[in-house]
Amino acid sequence: MSYLTALTDISIADLKVDLMRTAYDNEDALLNTFDPRVVLLWTVLFMIIPWLFYDTLPLVTLLAAAFALAALSQVSKYLLVLLLFGQLTNIGFFVVMVPLMGGLVTGWDDLSANSSQLIDGVVAFDPSVLAEAGGIVAAAVGEGLNTALSSQQAGVEAVGAVVPFFLKLTIISVISLAVFSAMSPQKISQGMLRLGVPRQLTFAIAYGYRMMPLLVEEYHALINSFRLRSKVPEKKGVLSWRYLLYLLKLSIKAFYPLIFNVAKRSRVTVEAMETKGFSQSLSDPKSRKLRTDDMMIRPRDVSFVFGSLLFVAGVWVFL
Amino acid sequence: MSAHSIIVDDLTFQYPGGDESVLQGADLRIDSGEFTAVVGGNGSGKTTLCKTFNGLIPHFFDGTFEGSVRVDGTDTRESDVGDLSRTVGYVFQDFENQLVQETVRDDVEFAPLNYGFDDYEERATRALEMVGLADLADRFIWELSGGQQHLVALAGVLAMDPEFVVVDEPAAQLDPQNAQETYERLRWLHEEQDKTVIVIEHHSEFIAEYCDEMVLVSDGGVAWKEPAQVGLNRLDDLRAENIHPPQVTQIADAVPAGMATVSDGRYPVTVDEAETALWSESAQAGEKRSAATGTTESTSQNQSTEENTENDDGEPIITLRNVGHGYPTLREGYNQVLDGLDLDLYAGDRVALVGANGSGKSTLLRLLTGLESPDEGTVTVLGQETNDALPEELADDTVYIHQNPEEMFVEDNVRKDIGYYLKNRGADDVERRVEEILTYLDLEELADRDGRLMSLGQQRRASLGIGLATDPTVVLLDEPTGSLDLQSRREVTGILRKAESRVETVVIASHDLQLVAGWADRVIVLDDGDVIADAPPAAVFDDAELLAAADLRQPQVVELSERLGFDSPLLTTDVMVEAITKGTAPDVATSAGDDATPDTTVPNTTQTLREEQ
Repeated sequence: MSYLTALTDISIADLKVDLMRTAYDNEDALLNTFDPRVVLLWTVLFMIIPWLFYDTLPLVTLLAAAFALAALSQVSKYLLVLLLFGQLTNIGFFVVMVPLMGGLVTGWDDLSANSSQLIDGVVAFDPSVLAEAGGIVAAAVGEGLNTALSSQQAGVEAVGAVVPFFLKLTIISVISLAVFSAMSPQKISQGMLRLGVPRQLTFAIAYGYRMMPLLVEEYHALINSFRLRSKVPEKKGVLSWRYLLYLLKLSIKAFYPLIFNVAKRSRVTVEAMETKGFSQSLSDPKSRKLRTDDMMIRPRDVSFVFGSLLFVAGVWVFL
Repeated sequence: MSAHSIIVDDLTFQYPGGDESVLQGADLRIDSGEFTAVVGGNGSGKTTLCKTFNGLIPHFFDGTFEGSVRVDGTDTRESDVGDLSRTVGYVFQDFENQLVQETVRDDVEFAPLNYGFDDYEERATRALEMVGLADLADRFIWELSGGQQHLVALAGVLAMDPEFVVVDEPAAQLDPQNAQETYERLRWLHEEQDKTVIVIEHHSEFIAEYCDEMVLVSDGGVAWKEPAQVGLNRLDDLRAENIHPPQVTQIADAVPAGMATVSDGRYPVTVDEAETALWSESAQAGEKRSAATGTTESTSQNQSTEENTENDDGEPIITLRNVGHGYPTLREGYNQVLDGLDLDLYAGDRVALVGANGSGKSTLLRLLTGLESPDEGTVTVLGQETNDALPEELADDTVYIHQNPEEMFVEDNVRKDIGYYLKNRGADDVERRVEEILTYLDLEELADRDGRLMSLGQQRRASLGIGLATDPTVVLLDEPTGSLDLQSRREVTGILRKAESRVETVVIASHDLQLVAGWADRVIVLDDGDVIADAPPAAVFDDAELLAAADLRQPQVVELSERLGFDSPLLTTDVMVEAITKGTAPDVATSAGDDATPDTTVPNTTQTLREEQ
């Protein structure tokens, strides 16, 4: 149990602060110092660039650069670990899945080849035929197992084939994490607004940032409510897996009341938005202009874009 | 002048899909320059009425709308919410959801930007200065306390420089200290900035202190509009709407006729008025009083001493030893909330935890549930150390009732919510026990409703039901009367008393001194992460310094008893009425007077009275 207490003890409070820091504390973050439009366009560009590479080495180099950027943008270490964990388990999944599927397919083929005999056996309910049918099934399973075990190699090869793909996905994920955690919501929505994105969408982003901490708190409170009124499984199982499963179930259940509470909150918000002249401002070009007036593209914005492109070109040429 | 007013003329309104009209033939006129309170019972239509001022009704809620509302001469039907909001600002009761941007400045700038004002920055700066939040302009909304968030909502309204400011139940969601600050701010806006302030309010003591005019809404109509002192004297009307008159007015009403009236024959509504009224009256009654002096007061004192000794002998139910606890924060590093705290709670204790915001009341309660483990020291509840037990296990005997009842509703109706714990713990007669709780707390009618959609008072009652269904030994309540109108507050006190017959120890964290005064027998004052006082209520209320440290506001009756020169404070209106009528100091009041000997209390009063004369 001790690892569990350690886990729950570090997590909740620290995790919350860490996430808050990722999302809100971005005054020193490198990407936040550039013009938001430039950063947004740069992000789109770098969503495409990884797909132009096919070899592992340049992709690994790009990934390393992406991580460096993430570090400069103060991305939550928990988020990064979670991301990596996801990608690694995905790869691990392939190692297991490919042989397993191979085995299943062989076994099934074997079975269906003898299916008529099998059906006859079952329908007739004759012990001797049944025994024969049992033999057929056993043979099929054996065949399947054999294939599964012998195709380990295939699994590893499959992984080799998907590694670049996962690398590309990871690069994109890390970059977008870096961008969205480094840029303040005002800047993101300002940039988008100037690029012609509808106000409703940019408002939704800003509003999401406003509400997130509230929802995190509320979600936590709801989980606690559930915990205080539930019963822990009597046997915790190996490594407390039953207990973990129980916590997992609770954390899913807690979403339902959360959604109701959010719906209730939004009733007031919508009224308040009306009194703050939101719907009026949608058709008012002056309001849009005032919001985006103080943006400016400076040399350092441009040099950031060209610098990073130069880096990519270097990777392209030398690796 | 006629242009600067809100005039409601024969207004009838029915929400779309509603069965009956919420407003029926309402007539009202509010002129520029007033500070007006709108009062009325739950569901009387007061919020609906105020939402017609800025056009939310009929533009946002398009129900059946008959009659008219004119704001500064404009018929609201011919304008829209956006335009009307520039004249009539509205701070919602649920103000937290009114703040839609992530930082304070952004939120205050939001409306001016929407209207395309070039000077949006100056407007925001000015508005923030008006509410005294200029220093916090760059903070995130979620970093602020409830009181500060309320001020941001107010600043957001002021940035539009409206003539009328409507504030919906400021005291409902704020603790008394913050509510008072908000009222001070509103008074300043009214007096110095020439704003017309309209508050929807349940707390008659705030009305007495701050408002000039008072409107009673009843059954969808405006029953009357009177100057506040006159309105607060219409006790029957108020009681019919479940509004409790100020404590001093209740006292004046309860004592024999003519004993406590101010010059024009009405009852006092503030402590100042009551003091004057009672001085002159008691001076006349002086002789009679001294004759009645000298009843025993030592009995209850002895009782309480006995109780204490008893407690010391018994095993404590809850023990905290050298407890330190804190949280990491975004800006200020590690925030040490509790520091080296020692505490023992015994069976039969009615404990009130009081203290300023952030003094660690809620943290302490959460440590007792085991939801959090102390960073240092040990917490033991019913012999079980919380570090070694899961919160689920501790919850067998302990129940924690959340400050915000909404967080306790996990099912879609109250009945299921109450049964949730029992079902999960495999109790055999779930249905019977749920029924029993429903009857016990008068929840039958609400049993099949969704807890989230009920009024706050009902929610609180349901959350107590959820708690009691677990058959707890220890009940922990976080701000049980927070955001409650007085009616529901009285209900809570009643429920607490009921609960006592079922449980051993009740601990509440509260800002509400009326509740503490009327219910607790042990008050623990927290400050700076440690216990700074642990005494019966009367002793705590006697110590002005302590109260200030704990951000507490004396109930009117306590303040009055102090001003009248009682040696130890009187805690409830009943006791005060008795004291005035009989001219004697009652038992309860003296339980805390450490060295008070019999006969001192009242003679002192009379003496002072005579000197005064």
